[in-house]
Amino acid sequence: MTRRDWLTGSAAALVATGCARPVHLTQSEATIVRAPAYDQSLYDIVRRLVASQGAAARGRAVVIKPNLVEFEPESAINTHPLLVHAACEAFRALGASQVTIAEGPGHRRDTLDLAEAAGYFQTIPGFEDCFVDLNLDEVTLVDLPRRFSKLKRVYLPNTVLGAALVVSMPKMKTHHWTGATLSMKNLFGVVPGGVYGWPKNVLHWAGIHESIADLHTVFPRQFTLVDGIVGMEGNGPIQGVSKPMGVLVAGTDPLAVDATCCRLMRIDPTRIGYLRLVAGDPAVFAESNVRQTGEPIAALARPFALIPQFRALRLESGA
Amino acid sequence: MPIPELLQQQNPDGGWSYRRGGSWTEPTVYAVLALAGAGDSAAAERGLQWIRAAQRDDGGWQARPGVGESCWVTSLAALLPAQRLGEERHRRATAWLSATTGMESSVLYRVRQWMMGGQTSSQTTAPGWPWVPGSAAWVIPTSLGILALDRENRLRPVPGLASRIDAGRRFLFNRMCKGGGWNHGSTRALGYESGAYPETTGMALAALRGCHGWQTDQSLAVALRFLDQCRTADALNWLRLGLAAQGRMPEGYRAPPGIAYRTVPEVATSVLADGAVAGKSVFWI
Repeated sequence: MTRRDWLTGSAAALVATGCARPVHLTQSEATIVRAPAYDQSLYDIVRRLVASQGAAARGRAVVIKPNLVEFEPESAINTHPLLVHAACEAFRALGASQVTIAEGPGHRRDTLDLAEAAGYFQTIPGFEDCFVDLNLDEVTLVDLPRRFSKLKRVYLPNTVLGAALVVSMPKMKTHHWTGATLSMKNLFGVVPGGVYGWPKNVLHWAGIHESIADLHTVFPRQFTLVDGIVGMEGNGPIQGVSKPMGVLVAGTDPLAVDATCCRLMRIDPTRIGYLRLVAGDPAVFAESNVRQTGEPIAALARPFALIPQFRALRLESGA
Repeated sequence: MPIPELLQQQNPDGGWSYRRGGSWTEPTVYAVLALAGAGDSAAAERGLQWIRAAQRDDGGWQARPGVGESCWVTSLAALLPAQRLGEERHRRATAWLSATTGMESSVLYRVRQWMMGGQTSSQTTAPGWPWVPGSAAWVIPTSLGILALDRENRLRPVPGLASRIDAGRRFLFNRMCKGGGWNHGSTRALGYESGAYPETTGMALAALRGCHGWQTDQSLAVALRFLDQCRTADALNWLRLGLAAQGRMPEGYRAPPGIAYRTVPEVATSVLADGAVAGKSVFWI
């Protein structure tokens, strides 16, 4: 037995004796729709997908949180601006009093330049007026409702805290530390770089999976719309390669949506650390426990290439 | 027209926001440095009063009022002349900086690594500076820490300062990307090389002023390539500062058209970069 084995075993024993506190969720829904390209058809597809959110959005402030990472518009690294614009239009049509696009990139400090390079200025009319850089927003210190990491409190931007509805719009990507980055990991972008730096390394030191689970406890319900039209496989979330999938995945429970995306990517969601932490019991997000609407997973699932360190995550059969 | 723009954006409390809203330390220090260099003493003095009032008991500065922890912006405040900031305030800022390192170079972390059976990487042996205490060191806060301490050490040498600066520079050399230049900190992740960024490359070259050798030469070549393709104000400002620090700013350089200066630090640092290219820098002596 190595020192690492001994310490890992001790930690596992602590968890088994009750340090881990499961979150029990009722059966949730995830909707899969075909969306073959970034074109005008998205406006109608997204309008139908968000139609169920009328009560949450009407007369209220909606914050749309895309995933902006790098200056490479030709790659599949950022949430596509046309999809974000389609979501803005759909929520305005539902009667939202205000629709704000907000993001706080983890690596690059010049957020607006990044958004410009990603095509947001050209695609979204008046983008600069409806965008908030979450890295530099006013902040409030928030007690974490349930703690998975050693963090007790975290500063969060007032724009997101004040929203009636947070719409998480991640890109469907593999991730070289967590296996997959989807709606829950997308919440790293609400942690303000102006307070914690670029990257938000405090979260890494507190444990990446644990920090993702912490943030989920602050925003347990949100509307999630995953950009899987062209995802990223291999060494994501930055250096991977494009993976055309032609899908959008939506729902109000991030756990159900992320587990469904993993299955579409042929990744075993029960082996993704932060999903296990949030659920407490992997049975919570078993395929039989997520009400799947729209297209069936089996019809659209295609394996995402995984770096060697994550080959064990491969979903070999239904899980 | 960067100076009128800065004057217009000053908040009633004397500080500056990044774009709009409450005052933060980083934009306020950059604006004060730019205004003071341009000869505006009234607005700069109001900014200095904001900065003085924001210093914490431990000698450092928080990112903005209400965030209860001193952090990397202390390096920026320490770039202010001691006679303007206040001698005692400046001494305490220098002491806070000297004592702050990334967690990966702490004894606690290294013992933990040893217990976990891990190797001590050469990347953890030279202490750099973190964004916030309790996390790892990164290229931007380390470069700014070196600039602040090196300036102070040349004006008023204190025992221990030179070795702290040398350690910070070793950190930068250890973190140089393959082929030259700097990413934000990690040169490899799970076996994959990280690519250099223009702004961090410029910043590190400024911090390595006076350091010569193949690593600097390689990174200067990367910086000159970045300069030709520059797309952002932050990148352009820091590439100009880094190349000026190394005496390698191309004669007659003209910036690509269409670069937007959107934040107070971008506007103010463009003034400081103009000064450095003309031979007058607030970042070094």
